[in-house]
Amino acid sequence: MENKTQKDLSTVAGREHPLSMVINNAVKIFIDLGFEVATGPELEDVWHNFDALNVPKDHPARDMQDTFYIKGEDGKVLRTHTSNVQIRYMEEFAKLGKKPPFAVISVGKCFRNEATDATHEMQFYQIEGLMIGEDISMANLKGVLSHFYKKMLGEDTNLRFRPSFFPFTEPSIEFDLKYKGRWIEMGGAGMVHPKVLENCGIDSNKYQGFAFGPGLERLMVIKYIMPDIRPAYHGDLRFSQF
Amino acid sequence: MKISYSWLQNYFEEKLPDPEKISEGIIFHSFEVESLDNLETFGKEKEDWVFDIKILPDRAHDCLSHWGIAKEISVIFDLKIKDQKYEIFKPKSTNLKIEIQDEKCFRYMGRIVKKVNVGASPNWLKEKLQAIGQKSINNVVDAANFVMFDLGQPIHCFDLDKLASEKIIVRNGKTGEKLTTLDKKDISLDESILVIADGSTCSPQANEVLAIAGIKGGTKAEVDFNTKNIIIEVANFDATSTRKTAKKIGILTDAVKRYENEISPELCEKAMNAITDLIFELSEGEIEDVVDVYPKKALQKEISISIDYINKRLGTSFKEEEIEKVWQKLNFEFAKDNYLFKIKVPHLRIDITGPHDLTEEVIRVLGYDRLEEKLPEIRLDTKINETFAKMFWARNKLINDGYSEVMTYSFTDTGEVEVLASASDKKFLRNNLSDGLKESLRLNQLNAPLLEMNEIKIFEIGTVFLMGKEEIHVAYNDKKNIIEVSLNDFCKDMSSEPSLELRNYNLETKFIPWSIYPFISRDVSVWVPEKDNGEELKKLLKEEATDLLIRDPYIFDSFTKNGKTSYAFRLVFQSYERTLTDDEINIIMAKISHKIKQNSRWELR
Repeated sequence: MENKTQKDLSTVAGREHPLSMVINNAVKIFIDLGFEVATGPELEDVWHNFDALNVPKDHPARDMQDTFYIKGEDGKVLRTHTSNVQIRYMEEFAKLGKKPPFAVISVGKCFRNEATDATHEMQFYQIEGLMIGEDISMANLKGVLSHFYKKMLGEDTNLRFRPSFFPFTEPSIEFDLKYKGRWIEMGGAGMVHPKVLENCGIDSNKYQGFAFGPGLERLMVIKYIMPDIRPAYHGDLRFSQF
Repeated sequence: MKISYSWLQNYFEEKLPDPEKISEGIIFHSFEVESLDNLETFGKEKEDWVFDIKILPDRAHDCLSHWGIAKEISVIFDLKIKDQKYEIFKPKSTNLKIEIQDEKCFRYMGRIVKKVNVGASPNWLKEKLQAIGQKSINNVVDAANFVMFDLGQPIHCFDLDKLASEKIIVRNGKTGEKLTTLDKKDISLDESILVIADGSTCSPQANEVLAIAGIKGGTKAEVDFNTKNIIIEVANFDATSTRKTAKKIGILTDAVKRYENEISPELCEKAMNAITDLIFELSEGEIEDVVDVYPKKALQKEISISIDYINKRLGTSFKEEEIEKVWQKLNFEFAKDNYLFKIKVPHLRIDITGPHDLTEEVIRVLGYDRLEEKLPEIRLDTKINETFAKMFWARNKLINDGYSEVMTYSFTDTGEVEVLASASDKKFLRNNLSDGLKESLRLNQLNAPLLEMNEIKIFEIGTVFLMGKEEIHVAYNDKKNIIEVSLNDFCKDMSSEPSLELRNYNLETKFIPWSIYPFISRDVSVWVPEKDNGEELKKLLKEEATDLLIRDPYIFDSFTKNGKTSYAFRLVFQSYERTLTDDEINIIMAKISHKIKQNSRWELR
């Protein structure tokens, strides 16, 4: 008589992709802070990806991101950031006649038309946060980001801001994280530009708030100490090893 | 932009802080410094450092210049900029005529200098230009370049004697007209291209094009070593049309970089003074009066801002005196009216359009380290987005059913939606997940021994692009077949109130990179007494298999029969440094067999 003593490997739970682990962890942290999850399209029109975000046509600011345009579809791009979800969310919000405060988090795939290397891919995940209210300040931005990274990577992390420029925020900053004794550039953020609020039908004299959009691959790489981000998209199960 | 440390020093009486200190100050108050290099090209005593500073479009109006950076340093380190004196000469009257025929030219200042001595530039000028990667041409051209990198205003010089008269016109080009640029490129012109042309009407050279406005000069009136008389052009052109033309004709010059970002027409005057002084100093000559055509003077913006506004937006409690100090450092004229500041924005600061911009000035000057970390106090009702919940649910369901998640590229060789000008050869967006998953299945089946999986079960959740729409799909394999459905169909049975309960993650997990060399896998099957749990055997295998064993031996099959249990172990060998040979693994396996045979309770199958 044969009797299987060893557990059948095929009934063991499968493995989750490390990026999904990072995404789910991140989203959970923001949900606990009262953020609402939103999603948006990857193939986007220029209004939501650029115009509404105060990135004017025929202006050098558009060159800041290497954009994929779509053949035969004028006015369509692969989104260069998840900031399009900000616009879509706020437009809908204002259309329904609702009033701030609100806070939204959105994770999604973005695209940049640039050469790939160990730290850059043509496709990548961004986590976009947006919080608008009557007195949501830049100190709140620092508080929320600091809280997020401490939850994600442990209490022994430090955050610092440096001046930068994005057409959709003012002031704009880049932020670095001190983790295991090293400062690492994490992403961009700032106070939502009044024009962006107005473009979505939100009164910028009354409401203000912040937005941020760091990439998630960077977070995954430092969390799990990975040498190269490219294998993440090779469909290789050796990558999903946890 | 490349900025020379010794060039910056010219702006200050006081000795500047060390280059590293300057760099740090700029990084935390102004711009990203991409590199700082020591230059010893000119010998130890003339040592210089070069910063490569990333000037983004908001400050390209006023900071693509040494002067701009010097002003930042003055603010950051509280250093006073030296007063500058101009007009070291007495100008003569002029016959120069300038006519602007199109409103894309906002200002045109011209000046004739006669009897110049065109020659080599002095060493100090050559060195300054060389430090920032510019070639020296002759003293007149170098002077124009120097002033552009110094003040941010493009300047062009024409050989007056190559014009038919002392008249310049700024007009639109005509289809059929051509120009050969200074670097010998032939450009076909048309009505959308603004040009600088010879203003004479009744000579063979009548109306000939001398330069493409704001972009590049032509060979027609090129300044060379035989040049005696020149016209200096200091002008201002429309940003958008300059940018469009430059893109269209494929010429990107340092002048274009400045014009396309928009610079103030008010800058022309200072630049004209500076270039005239420098040309007079380098090549002497008889200087004539400036002709300045400036149809619509730029207005100076006035912005009101309250201390409350600043503190509310930043979440700070800065006092009036501290904020006042910021305006003083920035050299902003202001008036106070109760708690309101009325700021006169300097012309060059085109980026400042409202109180939100002034707020940024306050915090970057005072330092972002002055911001505290404050969690917002508002409480909101969390709502979970349906799409996200579905993806979460689908992923968990598949994982619980033994499927592992993979991700593949959105770009492929074929599809319905094509991207333009891709940096990669994969120009299409995927219209299914199945193709990528099939590849993934093939790869993972080859690697199965490394993965401790008897059967490869994988899935992907992702967006596919169809003509006119995008859709999120779920794909997974059933043996060799790939099943692909839309996320909505996959989630038919999902409850209406999804939870986002996370799986338990080990936060201390560390990723283990894999070897790029092929692995070799070998199986060993052994009969052991029924009570034997196989641990001893596993220990022996691990010891004897040497450190070429890439992972612990694992049981892939076992069964019990007639009081004996059969264990089938898989051993996977791989090196991080080289390709292993069958021979060396055979030797290891022979040793293992020998050891197993020495144990009387065990029997090799």
